[in-house]
Amino acid sequence: MPSYDVMPDLQLYQPAELSDALNLLDRHRGEGWLLGGGQDTFGWLKDRAKHPRAMIDLNGIDELRGIRETDGGIEIGAVTTLVDIIGHPVLNRDYALLPRAAVRVASPQIRNVGTLGGNLVQDTRCWYYRRGLSCYRAGGNLCYADSPQGMNREHSLFGASRCVAVSPSDTATALVALEATMVAANPGGERLIPADRFFVGPDTHITRMTVLEDDEILTAIRIPSKWAGKRFYFEKVSDRRAWDFALVSIAAAMVVENDVISEARFVCGGVACKPHRLRNVEKAAIGMALSEESADALAPLAIEGAKPLNYNHFKLPLMQNLVRRAMRA
Amino acid sequence: MDLATYKEDVWGREVILGASWDLLWLVVVAAFVVIALHAVILAVRRRATKPSSAGPRVARHSAVDRIFHWIMAASIIVLLITGVFPIIGLEFSWLTIHWIAGLVLTALVVFHIVRASFWQDLGTMWIRAGELKEPFDASLKPGKYTVAQKGMHAAVTVLVLLVIGSGLVMFAMIDTPWWDRTNAIAESTLGWMFLLHGLSTLALIGLIALHIYFGLRPEKLFYTRSMIKGWISKEELEANHDPERWAPGKSS
Repeated sequence: MPSYDVMPDLQLYQPAELSDALNLLDRHRGEGWLLGGGQDTFGWLKDRAKHPRAMIDLNGIDELRGIRETDGGIEIGAVTTLVDIIGHPVLNRDYALLPRAAVRVASPQIRNVGTLGGNLVQDTRCWYYRRGLSCYRAGGNLCYADSPQGMNREHSLFGASRCVAVSPSDTATALVALEATMVAANPGGERLIPADRFFVGPDTHITRMTVLEDDEILTAIRIPSKWAGKRFYFEKVSDRRAWDFALVSIAAAMVVENDVISEARFVCGGVACKPHRLRNVEKAAIGMALSEESADALAPLAIEGAKPLNYNHFKLPLMQNLVRRAMRA
Repeated sequence: MDLATYKEDVWGREVILGASWDLLWLVVVAAFVVIALHAVILAVRRRATKPSSAGPRVARHSAVDRIFHWIMAASIIVLLITGVFPIIGLEFSWLTIHWIAGLVLTALVVFHIVRASFWQDLGTMWIRAGELKEPFDASLKPGKYTVAQKGMHAAVTVLVLLVIGSGLVMFAMIDTPWWDRTNAIAESTLGWMFLLHGLSTLALIGLIALHIYFGLRPEKLFYTRSMIKGWISKEELEANHDPERWAPGKSS
């Protein structure tokens, strides 16, 4: 049995420049591990379920940290801590959806060191996978969660393809709702990826949760000014008030003019392997006012196409009720 | 280079995970080498006069057989693209397309088996001992199919039946419009299915590469034309086949 009380043997690198981090990642391709706040990382290492040979700590790279206003909106460095996001005045004034999501992440201690990038690219919390079982997501041929005896209370309602794990990120839903763009650096330059396409489901890639390649580093997140100051709603339902992952969460961004919705984005967390856009709700919401009647009309649309597993039917009314609450005036 | 990859199952026992996809490059290189060698050998050999496609024609493939062949070819190409491309890094949502193409292939194979068993002459495709001399003796001409064509048919038959059999077991492990997956097959059994599926696929890739190559060779192109248009010329028939063993019109 492996020992669980000491760090595994690995090399620690602490680059001060992004180019050095990219070189290190390239040199250790397939065996490198990027370290942000470490809140996902250390669990994996402690459980001996992942075996990186090289740890590349991104916290010493200044250009990856901080929140900057730009012509097109606002840019947040990937290793900016969640607590910095929660307390940032411009974010709270114009893009409050993100701080509202960030403040619901885990616990104060974790938010102090946890980074936005880390929260976005963290791995799924399916316990079969995290225990180190060789499931589909770990390169095997089975899903233990979606078996007759599988415990799948926290697992997916939508988009399952063999694997039924869900995205655990609270900030991901907010950033998809805000039409953010992810900036990924690689040896050839950088790649801009819409948040919508940044997260990937098991139908496309069953062993990872984002489109980031082995040689890429998420460097920044850009939120367009299009959504500045609009109406936002975020709510997360979890078993515990703090230090828990979402059973279901909702992030909604709406343009409301003369009490009528002209554009809307509704995104649910905890129900699919990636942030789940409620496209039917978004379409139907256009032209509606924020009211109880609209809420009741939209709620059933939220669960269209859902395929609950043995133990997660309770998520269906949760989703509907979260849509209702987002639509209340 | 291993044939298979392994993993530990939930009980900590080592079980087969599937085929080693490093073999794909071996298959690709091997097919390329065989094709290149064959092309070079034929290029330096004196070429026989190519029979004319003009003049009277005889039927070689009925419309049903041609449609069957091309739908089967399309389904196998789709299966290879959806099965292999994600493994070599071209990622897309492949699974649904893969199993639909797999069902099309299965239906076609069932149709072909029934048709060949009851309405066609199975002996046409049977390889007899005497025919093995054909490639080495120019005086021996084949019946409707050359021994190489029969060999290709036999190999493809075995491999396609293996991919279909293993594929159907794996099909039970995914959600479909008709059932929710059971996940009730043991990991070791499933590993064997993945191994069979993978190895047969790899072998099919090699065979299909050869099949396409021979279908495009100038001296064999009339066979490909016959699979599209249905006919070969009388001159092509007489130059390549023994009329005693294949008399078009008398049998299919």
